[in-house]
Amino acid sequence: MIHTHNISKSYRSGRGTVQALSDVSISIPGGATLALVGKSGSGKTTLLNCIGGLERPDNGSVNCFGVDIHTLSRRELSYFQRRNMGFVFQFGNLLSYLTVFENISFPLVLNNMEKEKRVAELLEKIGLPEVISAMPYELSGGETQRIAFARAIAHSPKMLLADEPTANLDTETGEKLVKYMFGMCKEEGCAIIISTHDQSLIKLADRTYTLLDGKVIGE
Amino acid sequence: MYFWIKTASLFLVRSRSSTIVLTLMVLSAVSTLIFLSSLAIGINDAMIRNSVGLFSGHISGFNIPDDITKKQLFTEGVSGVLKRIPTSGFLHYRDQLEMTTLIAVAPAEEKKFTAIWKKAFKGRYLEPGKKEIFLSQPIAERLNIEPGDNIGFRSGTDSASVELTVAGIYKTGIDQFDRGVSFCIMSAIPVKSSPWNAAIFLDNGVDKEWIVGKYRNAKLNNISFKTWSDLMPDLQQLIDLNYISMSIVIVLVFIVVSSGIAGAFSIFILKNIREYGIMKAMGITPMETASLIFSEVILINLVASTLGIIIGAAAVFIFENIGINLSAYTSHNQYFIVSGIIFPRLTVFSLCLPPASALLFSIPAAIWPTALVIKRSAADILRSI
Repeated sequence: MIHTHNISKSYRSGRGTVQALSDVSISIPGGATLALVGKSGSGKTTLLNCIGGLERPDNGSVNCFGVDIHTLSRRELSYFQRRNMGFVFQFGNLLSYLTVFENISFPLVLNNMEKEKRVAELLEKIGLPEVISAMPYELSGGETQRIAFARAIAHSPKMLLADEPTANLDTETGEKLVKYMFGMCKEEGCAIIISTHDQSLIKLADRTYTLLDGKVIGE
Repeated sequence: MYFWIKTASLFLVRSRSSTIVLTLMVLSAVSTLIFLSSLAIGINDAMIRNSVGLFSGHISGFNIPDDITKKQLFTEGVSGVLKRIPTSGFLHYRDQLEMTTLIAVAPAEEKKFTAIWKKAFKGRYLEPGKKEIFLSQPIAERLNIEPGDNIGFRSGTDSASVELTVAGIYKTGIDQFDRGVSFCIMSAIPVKSSPWNAAIFLDNGVDKEWIVGKYRNAKLNNISFKTWSDLMPDLQQLIDLNYISMSIVIVLVFIVVSSGIAGAFSIFILKNIREYGIMKAMGITPMETASLIFSEVILINLVASTLGIIIGAAAVFIFENIGINLSAYTSHNQYFIVSGIIFPRLTVFSLCLPPASALLFSIPAAIWPTALVIKRSAADILRSI
């Protein structure tokens, strides 16, 4: 179970203080899929980052699988993230100096898990076994996102956080990625929290939260 | 740790151009400083070599009793011992008299170890078996005498005068020499054989104090041995001053160069901040982040310093053999009286200090960007790129 309780987050910028989140409380059962929808600047990414421990909320708490993650030390949080979470970003964000194999095996090495077999298996599942030795700059946008997804679930995390993963893909490629994500996460029993504008993704989610100006306005 | 070192080396190898630029910076700094410090040591060596090589040797022995032979002064590290017998007296030519210390020498050996014979500006140096005298320029001028003229020498008021032919006239530019020292061969004058003086020449790199200590242990206590630094305290001071000033220059140069290197390292690390942000999102700990960054810095330093040492040492090796001729700038300097050629010399200090300093400066340089990467949240880093 993942649960946020009244989390708020503000930023200082050139335009003054921006309230990105205000008292947001949401719940996602383990293994479920959740879509966060809303206009650009509504707070989807910030909420995703707070749930994933990538940034600390100003107020409130985030409880993931019984652990209040923002009470953890930096080191404890890192260990928690590497064991339990996987991230897919809007632009893939592969490590540019590492090959596809090295990228996917990175979380496996961090978790002392077997890598050769697992990487081969994942590449087979996402239909890209031939790119194992490729560098990220040699991949197309769709391939990059699929590799980023494979890397995110390589270590069988309990939760996958995806920030607009199909935003920069054409419809066909986006649908392919969505198919892999939902199919494989279901197989692995991994919860998905996804921020998106993509209607096809929203339809597939077990639960949807709509955000506006940092507040949940609908479920 | 192996994983972080491997990842760091992959980062370095694959971010080729920035790694090459950074390596070249460190490499050129290290090799230049190795050469500079070797050159400083070479300048000091040249001053010592010139000063001891003109006449006095590394160690001078005075008033040595006749029962002590040259052979007794030969020991490990000694390359030559020259026997000299000084006699005070006066030279007379026509109606003029001139005080002098006439030093009886063995010309062949003197030519082998000293450079006084090269200072003949008229005529030539002494030849074995000839009753000749080698005069300094001021004496020759005062007596108005030229090579080939005959001159008389008398060691005391009641001793007989010895006639000698002027072989040549020398000029060293060193007052104590030029003012009143003349040379002849051992058999030219009826000099008493005791006591005698010794000029002791050492092999390269042999410590003069160690040899003096050996003489003392060999029960040669009653002989007065003086090293070149005892006889030429001004040269010792000059060498000390040279060490200090070169050290200051090298430190200043290194601070300037290292600031550049430190800045380049900071840029190099921050250039990859996106990568660290992604890794943070995957759960790498602050310690692992630091391990990765410091592995990069240390690896690049090791490679660049090794190449810098090889290039710097190779440059020193080349010039150690051919020398750097600075005669045009040293001709009026008494410490370069024999030769103005500098032979740079490597020492452990000149070889180790530059790479150690490169590491010493680049590691603190990596602290700030590392702290920045650790402190900033992954979201913040990824948002900013």
